[in-house]
Amino acid sequence: MAKLLEVKGLTKTFGGLVAVNNLSFHMEEGETIGLMGPNGSGKTTVFNLIMGDFKQDSGEIFFEGKEISKYPTHQRVKMGIARTYQVPRPFHEMTVMEDIQISTIPDDLIKCVRGGKEYGEEVRKIGESVGLKERLSMYPYELTMGDLRRLELGRAIATNPKMVLLDEIFAGLTVAEIAEISGLIKKKTKEGENFIIVSHDLRALAPLVDRVVVIHFGEFIAEGHYEEIISNEKVKEAYFGY
Amino acid sequence: MIRSLRWWLIGIAVMCVLPLFAPVGVTRLLVMASYLAIFAMSWDMMSGYTGYISFGHPFLIGLAAYVSAFLSHQGGFQPPHLVLPLYATIPLGVAAAVGGGMLFFLPSMRVRGPYFSLISLAFMEVLHRLIIAVYPEFTGGDRGLPRIPAVVMGAVPNYYLALGLMFATAIGLWYVGRSNVGTILKAIRMDEDVVESRGISTYRFKRFAFLLSAVTAGIGGVFFTHYLQSINPRRAFSAVFLLDIIISAAIGGMGTIVGPMFGGYFLTFILEYLRPYLFGQWRLLVYALVGIFVVIYRPRGFYGIAQDIGNWFRGRMRGVEQYGKVT
Repeated sequence: MAKLLEVKGLTKTFGGLVAVNNLSFHMEEGETIGLMGPNGSGKTTVFNLIMGDFKQDSGEIFFEGKEISKYPTHQRVKMGIARTYQVPRPFHEMTVMEDIQISTIPDDLIKCVRGGKEYGEEVRKIGESVGLKERLSMYPYELTMGDLRRLELGRAIATNPKMVLLDEIFAGLTVAEIAEISGLIKKKTKEGENFIIVSHDLRALAPLVDRVVVIHFGEFIAEGHYEEIISNEKVKEAYFGY
Repeated sequence: MIRSLRWWLIGIAVMCVLPLFAPVGVTRLLVMASYLAIFAMSWDMMSGYTGYISFGHPFLIGLAAYVSAFLSHQGGFQPPHLVLPLYATIPLGVAAAVGGGMLFFLPSMRVRGPYFSLISLAFMEVLHRLIIAVYPEFTGGDRGLPRIPAVVMGAVPNYYLALGLMFATAIGLWYVGRSNVGTILKAIRMDEDVVESRGISTYRFKRFAFLLSAVTAGIGGVFFTHYLQSINPRRAFSAVFLLDIIISAAIGGMGTIVGPMFGGYFLTFILEYLRPYLFGQWRLLVYALVGIFVVIYRPRGFYGIAQDIGNWFRGRMRGVEQYGKVT
């Protein structure tokens, strides 16, 4: 299978802190991978680097074989990369419908000036597909954490991506909500979506991923199937200190 | 759209008949209010929508005004062959506002945080000092330029000119504001990173908002200075003028265009009618009080109040339709 994403020798420092250190991993088309590591291991920084929110000090990021480091975030999204945030970041003055609609607005001034605020059927369908059918006209302050996670997922999917980076998608959710979001991710995976999932909830992560990449202090420490990884000595040491 | 335009037509019709009833003094006040409304809408298009607060709007207004005033001025400061007709100086003034803004303000919109505000404030002061200190024989220095030609003479023709400009810019900006451009700009104000992560070039949209804002500021600045027939740097680049613009937009309701238009009228009239009660600079206390009130109690300004009343009324009407009486 062809490589959808490939990260080579990625390094990012913030002053004296090395957040990501010579990290390399890849993801193949049709694959879902988990990115694991203890708190502060640099998982979100890796996402920020892939999205172009930060510029790496060194290393390369290839998406569908193309080096994307020189492109700004919005160009990378157009290429097919989308993300969700660790802490949901909805537009506080917009309804669920309006929020998802932003992802479907063309990045073209003339089309935008001509286009009104009518919500397309497409937006409604996306909202419904992530389980927000009854909440499309609600504002973020009226939503539960589970709904906010659904909104994050919905608006990422609305950009029509080839790969979605899910950052702590299960954080703050109840067991029932985790099951619902997991079901949603499985459904989208079957539909052909590729995910990289960051999660501390290993039990929720396990059935969703084909492979896991583990990092610690920004460095690659292990890679493989979930069962292999949880019994890996280096991973145990990183997580439990023994 | 058509329904909304109907409200504009009603507004235009009402404003058009006002000079038939209003004394000349009030008509002149309405002219001043119309120009302040244009400046407030211009500020709103950029700062109210995107959240990039401009403290240097008088730079755009002043630059346009000075260019048109200087080129059309017949006071002997410049060689006679440089005196141009108004139909040439007005577009040149507007172009100067756009060009100057693009050159000095726009680069700072690439960075987040307060840099845009600080840079815009700095350039306003730089232009002020340049006009006073460098080539005062051309700019009139601290005294400014007198005897600038007028576009039209008399209170009523000037009123209709100002009104026409105000409604033309208001409807244009309002149309953009209610399109998807307005939606994106408001989203930028809420969380620019997230907008970028949805595949939208935020810089492109900010640049467009800035361009519209600069054109509006330029148009307002040029016609305002030709209405006054003089320009004075101490007034054109004063903090009071800047506050007039920002407070008008804030009390009207930022990010709405219509709100700042009302805000311009409200501020002009309240300051004028407070003149007998609050002497001199004491009137400026009104800024502080109105500003505090709006920020704390009504952050959505007059526009928000009108919306709330409209929603309440519609809710009651729905109640009447459903239950046959108002409960």
